Amino acid sequence: MSAFQQGMAPLRALEDDSDVEEEALVADYKEQVAYGQDDDLDGLDQASLAQQADDLQARLVQAAQPLDFQATLEAKFTSYDNYCSLFHYILNSEGPVDLEPPSYYWAWDVIDEFIYQFNTFSTYRARIARQGNNEEEAQLLKEAPNTWGCYSVLNVLYSLIQKSQIIEQLNAMKRGEDAEKVAGPYGSKSLYRMLGYFSIIGLLRVHCLLGDFSLALKTLDDIELNKKAMFARVMAAHFTTYYYVGFSYMMMRRYADALRMFSHILIYVSRTKNFQKNAQYDSITKKNDQMLALIAICVAFHPTRLDDTIHTALREKYGEQLLKLQRGGPDSLPVFEELFRIACPKFISPVPPNFDQPESNIDPIEHHLSVFMEEVKNNMWSPTVKSYLRLYTTMDLRKLAGFLDVKPDELRAMLLVNKQRTKQIRWTEGGLLEGEWVNTSDLDYALQGDLIHISEAKMGRKLVDWYLRNLSRTYA
Amino acid sequence: MASLLNMNGEDPQERPEQIRNIIGGLERYNPQAAEVLEAYLQQQCEEKFCDCNANRALLKLYQLNPDRIKDEVVTNVLVKTMTQFPSPQFDLAIHLLSPANSNPGPGSTSDLAEAVGKLRVLNSYLESANYSRFWATLEQDNDDIYADLTTDIKGFEDMIRVKIAQLLSQAYREISLSTLEGALGLDGEDKVTQYVTETCGWKIGEGGVVLIPKNAENEAKKTEIREDVSIDMFSRVIKRSWEETA
Repeated sequence: MSAFQQGMAPLRALEDDSDVEEEALVADYKEQVAYGQDDDLDGLDQASLAQQADDLQARLVQAAQPLDFQATLEAKFTSYDNYCSLFHYILNSEGPVDLEPPSYYWAWDVIDEFIYQFNTFSTYRARIARQGNNEEEAQLLKEAPNTWGCYSVLNVLYSLIQKSQIIEQLNAMKRGEDAEKVAGPYGSKSLYRMLGYFSIIGLLRVHCLLGDFSLALKTLDDIELNKKAMFARVMAAHFTTYYYVGFSYMMMRRYADALRMFSHILIYVSRTKNFQKNAQYDSITKKNDQMLALIAICVAFHPTRLDDTIHTALREKYGEQLLKLQRGGPDSLPVFEELFRIACPKFISPVPPNFDQPESNIDPIEHHLSVFMEEVKNNMWSPTVKSYLRLYTTMDLRKLAGFLDVKPDELRAMLLVNKQRTKQIRWTEGGLLEGEWVNTSDLDYALQGDLIHISEAKMGRKLVDWYLRNLSRTYA
Repeated sequence: MASLLNMNGEDPQERPEQIRNIIGGLERYNPQAAEVLEAYLQQQCEEKFCDCNANRALLKLYQLNPDRIKDEVVTNVLVKTMTQFPSPQFDLAIHLLSPANSNPGPGSTSDLAEAVGKLRVLNSYLESANYSRFWATLEQDNDDIYADLTTDIKGFEDMIRVKIAQLLSQAYREISLSTLEGALGLDGEDKVTQYVTETCGWKIGEGGVVLIPKNAENEAKKTEIREDVSIDMFSRVIKRSWEETA
């Protein structure tokens, strides 16, 4: 248990609560238990009821505390049991429990920590199985296959979403109606509403960790990504949401959409970073760098103009790598791999590993990476091909094949691949999975036998940019 | 038109109400739903349409309940998904398989991993537009492995061939019969001629060149990208200057 106490700040929140509030809470709680139950509680006196309410409040706070990095396996098991009993209490009591979340951030912190522990537990379990040299822990893990089980984690998240009727509430809000009306007895309480809301973001994350990228995006159907969204008020939630949405888009080859997500949040962070100098900021810095790495990957697949702030940060952080990615060819492959490893989520397997055959347990990261790298390989010649095509309006295929030192048939395949990949689905409105097919390249070509006809879309002048720059130069 | 708005084979019109309810709700986590989805896959194989979204729900159930995995269902899903190239559909399906079932290696003894490995190779030829290698690989199928894997999918080769022809028509205005022969996996110029004139409706020009009608993709028209400027784009600047003077 001691491991739980080693967390950081949030304890202070409790001290800030005035006695009046605590008393009110006790009274509320008393009322609520008295309502649902009959005889068993008759014997309890005032003092023990107050004690229970204090305990509950302490458990709420505790659930949001980070588990110590070096927590023992036993502590991890205990933590799981604690979450189960807390969520069981919140979800399965008779009627909604009358508790106030300790802070605005609380619900996010709980869901975040819950999933984080699920994630690290699964990773740890897989590692023990793979290494096969810790018999004692392997045995313990083998005997408790359902601890931190995927079904129970999903169950908690879906139950919180359902109980709070948060989907109905969000849809009512979207239509400009009063969410209270559809909130129901649970959803009208902020404890349930907030837990339900952040469980949606939690699901996005879990689906992504399991490699189900389209379901991850589907999960966010009812949340509108904009500054007014509820998650935007909690910086870590804001950040996490955009990271997972962006990553899922990338894995679905929707690079323009992925870039839009990463750019949005990185610009937001760079504008607000002066207000964020606290412990949270460290983890944000790490994710920040991860997203820059993902931007480098996406820009390599889908060359586009980046915002100046991001471009500068990208060059500083991954300048060399970016050059290699943009050049393409076999030399770019290890760089794609390196950046993917740096920046991908810590993928997990939803089922317990095979403890009896250590070598049969492949790290899920290797699996997802290998699938991703196949697409990288398919595209690796596109930069080279494009750089040549830009120089001509017509070109003989055999001659170009000679320049590139490949067979004509190989060049035909490269041309087809590049042309097919310039069409991408891009979001315009509605759910995140919606979108329209758009042509994303300024370079187009068609083949007449062995003659390549090339046309390059001319970019008109960037007027808005020009006006803005000159306005500020003249008047600032 | 609907298919243009989304990924290939993602949400087909043929999807029945029952399936829509399963994949749209919590029923998708019910292990019992696997049977319904398996039957639906069978229907897709026979009626030559593809519902990748529903098939992923099936793979997801297998992911969560490995004891329910049926090898031939997994491979049928993959072969079915393969017909949707070029698209991320095949990859999205592979991401849902367990690493042990999708990466054949020295340590793996599972037949499923072997089969999935074979299909990944086959799919990579389609995704990388190496169509002639795709057909050659199917042809040199010494142990009848590919024949076994694709046997349940009605019209597999035809669907692939039609798709390749369509993709070629988006890049070529004229194409030689010999290039087509390899890309469409047809033996002899007679067969190719017959296929392009009868199935594709293309014409043969002088010197055995196949003429592909003009379409939006094979024109490569010159365009100019212009920026529309509206007052909204300057709203920040205007607002700030207005606030400063006020």
